[in-house]
Amino acid sequence: MRACLTRAMTTAVHPDRFFRYWLVAPAIFLLLAVGLFPLIYSLIVSFMRIDMMDTDTSFHGLYNYANLFKDARLWWSLAHTLLITAIALPIELLLGLAMAYLFLERMPGRQIFVALLVLPTIISPIVAGATWRLMFDNQYGPINQILSWFAGQRVNALWNIKPDLVYPAIIFCEIWQWTPFMFLILLAALSNVDKSQTEAAEIDGASFIRTFRYIVLPAIWPVMAIAILIRGLDLFRIFDIIWALTQGGPGTMTETISIYAYVQGFKQFETSYTAAIAFLVIFMLTIVVTWAIRRTGLAK
Amino acid sequence: MSDLKITGLHKHYGAFHAVKGIDLDVPSGEFTVLVGPSGCGKSTLLRCIAGLEETSAGTVEIGGKDVTWARPRDRDIAMVFQNYALYPYLNVKDNIAFGLRARKFGEAEVEKRVARAAEMLGIGHLLQRFPRELSGGQRQRVAIGRAIVRDAILYLFDEPLSNLDAQLRDDMRVEIKRLHKELKRTMVYVTHDQIEAMTLADRIVLLRDGVIEQLGTPLDLFERPRTRFVAGFLGSPKMNFLDATLSASGVILKDGTTLELPGRSGLKPGQAVILGLRPQHIAMAGASIAKGHMRVPVVIELVQPTGSRVQATMPLGGASIIAELGAHDVSRPGEKTSIDIDMTHAIIIDPATETVI
Amino acid sequence: MSTLPFHRRKDVRLAFRYLLALLLVIVFVFPVYWLFIISFKTPDEIFAFPPVWYPESIQFANYKVLFKDGDAATVGNSLILATVSTVFAMILGTIAAYSLVRFKTGGENLAVWIISQRMMPPVAIVFPVFLLYVWLGWVDSYTGLIVLYTAFSLPYVIWMMRGYIEDIPLELEESALVDGCTRWEVLWKVVLPMARSGLFATAVFTFIFAWNDFLFALVLTRTEVTTYTVQVTHYFGGQSNFWAKIAAMSVLGTIPVFITVAIMQRFLVRGISMGAVKG
Repeated sequence: MRACLTRAMTTAVHPDRFFRYWLVAPAIFLLLAVGLFPLIYSLIVSFMRIDMMDTDTSFHGLYNYANLFKDARLWWSLAHTLLITAIALPIELLLGLAMAYLFLERMPGRQIFVALLVLPTIISPIVAGATWRLMFDNQYGPINQILSWFAGQRVNALWNIKPDLVYPAIIFCEIWQWTPFMFLILLAALSNVDKSQTEAAEIDGASFIRTFRYIVLPAIWPVMAIAILIRGLDLFRIFDIIWALTQGGPGTMTETISIYAYVQGFKQFETSYTAAIAFLVIFMLTIVVTWAIRRTGLAK
Repeated sequence: MSDLKITGLHKHYGAFHAVKGIDLDVPSGEFTVLVGPSGCGKSTLLRCIAGLEETSAGTVEIGGKDVTWARPRDRDIAMVFQNYALYPYLNVKDNIAFGLRARKFGEAEVEKRVARAAEMLGIGHLLQRFPRELSGGQRQRVAIGRAIVRDAILYLFDEPLSNLDAQLRDDMRVEIKRLHKELKRTMVYVTHDQIEAMTLADRIVLLRDGVIEQLGTPLDLFERPRTRFVAGFLGSPKMNFLDATLSASGVILKDGTTLELPGRSGLKPGQAVILGLRPQHIAMAGASIAKGHMRVPVVIELVQPTGSRVQATMPLGGASIIAELGAHDVSRPGEKTSIDIDMTHAIIIDPATETVI
Repeated sequence: MSTLPFHRRKDVRLAFRYLLALLLVIVFVFPVYWLFIISFKTPDEIFAFPPVWYPESIQFANYKVLFKDGDAATVGNSLILATVSTVFAMILGTIAAYSLVRFKTGGENLAVWIISQRMMPPVAIVFPVFLLYVWLGWVDSYTGLIVLYTAFSLPYVIWMMRGYIEDIPLELEESALVDGCTRWEVLWKVVLPMARSGLFATAVFTFIFAWNDFLFALVLTRTEVTTYTVQVTHYFGGQSNFWAKIAAMSVLGTIPVFITVAIMQRFLVRGISMGAVKG
């Protein structure tokens, strides 16, 4: 503080009215580049007709958007995405909650258990997908081997190939990787519940369900809502895991919206069409996310 | 018939021995206060009675039934917590009714009981409000309401007034005393405040380091303390303690002052003791010296007025003592005057064992 | 005298909980274990049926191949990209967070917008960014990915540091101002040292995010700047996969993350949960 003191006595005081803006400027600039720019750019490009053959930059109006509605494969990819989300999210939530309750009370060595359980969440989703690709292999993967033990006979399940096995495989891998995330958040939330309230409920004679419904749930709901929001959005844009396991296959059976957009843009080079998809997705999500953020008071 | 009977209760927290063999018998309808300094084990004891902690050894009987291993909800008890523990997402009425509904009481019965409890506590107009809209005192009443609506055998209070400001505390104390008179139930009350203990208790259980230091009526403990700890704990301002030596008929203080102890026999001259004098038993020198009193000249050091009384600090016997004098008895520090000490209420303590002789 | 029923005894419950915990650990850790040991197995062991649960000996042959072929260098690429972008993101993000907290710059609207950027789907962003990079000549360059990772990490850094800065008592800064410091000095000399542990924790998770990224790297790199995540996918085949390489590459790419998390495990909850839970 000495240095500050001497300086203050010799220099004039700068108005730091603009200080705050200088601080946020670089960050906002970068964010605009990554957040706003793609939106505008996609919009512009989506009005053109640029694809593998042409580079027609004239204005074509809502041509691409009209095609969006007619595109069955797009809607199927949305359906696939929603299917995965609708199944995985509740399971991750309930399983995470159960695990949180398991570790809620003190137990020696809990730290180690938690650190181990978090492993799946910190590895790259590609690595997770690759890992399960190996696990699910028909001949050399341990999953079928373990199932064979239980079934008493050789199990030949083509997890990565057969249509009706592929979805369970993907969902299982996804749940495996992200349940610990839910678990951590819910564990922290449960730990913050006022213990004397649950004790009072205990003395009042409330059962576990009653206590959970009227006391615990309202208390952890803000945190739980945020967790559901984050996981829900992450599930919506799922890419890496599926890419590693099936690359959207067999055929387009496990193609989610992200994979479809990627394929359209970088395999089919349907530039304008992909731009339309990109714009639509960004636009939809911005509305949903902004509403959700304001609703849960995240920004406060 | 005793509503609460504790035998040989021990509680260990790992290596820490919080409660060391407590025996306690609380007759039906009595208001028992567990009091003591922090860490003495009073809250632990209460929680063991409630079943919120598992005992390490000993038994707990409530209403004649052995509940040592029973869950809290099966013990027929009600409890008021220090931080009220109200359910924030339920309104006052649902808070009070929570326990009844959990035990599947019919709505008609619930309404009746809630109304009665609300009336008793004067919170009938708050039933639709939520805890966050209430003041501290109101919340406390709701917490008490939640307890009394249950019609339990035993009511437990865990330092319920500690979070209230002084004025409110006084008011609530009266409320609780009145409540006990109306309900006539057995109540066990934990506090660290000796004033609460003195004013509320039928019997006081003074705890220290996990054991019962002394058990008895408030007056018992106040006038006939058995140890230095008990003597120093009750009474405000605290009792004065002076090192002294016994003489044939009294004590000799460090500064040579001799004080006669009336009505004592068998004193061993030369024995080192501690003399205990309550500030309330020291008065300004009056017209004449009453029987059993000793007059001593003093120089006033500090003066702390408390309204109708004054707490005066003065050196005596090599230490500083406090006397509770009348508001107009002394005016400034440095004043030279005399005091009359009521030696009939003085106590002498054996320094080695800290017990009162 | 009655005793506690069996199922309510504390030690029985604890044993049961340990059992469940152990089961969970097996389920969640076994696949990682499997990945690890494949990287140490010989080809015979990898393609053995029934599967070999525990290799005869630890073979480093698979790793040697990776290093010889130069594939292991992709880990180096990931390291450069992740480290540099983390540094930039931490600096820019922290000062922005400070502005948001102390001066309420931009009010709630700015905060909402910044957080919403965290939730943007990478695939929608990567496409126009790709087009831009083509025009800028930034495809397959370090600069391109570093800029992108930095920008994408900013919302997270701002969000987390906002929480940590809020925890610093205003009085400390005010007393520094009274002592004669400029606002800039207050930021560097008072705020940042106090937020040290928060800085550290946030940096680790920012690093991990960039380190584990796949989609951006897939789209925006070709041959010069391959990251380990993309490299792993190069070993996927139609019929047969280069299992040993997949495993070894994955392990190489995962160990740094394990190490950093092991060091930082105290901050695990707050880091992963984006500060959603206080403390």
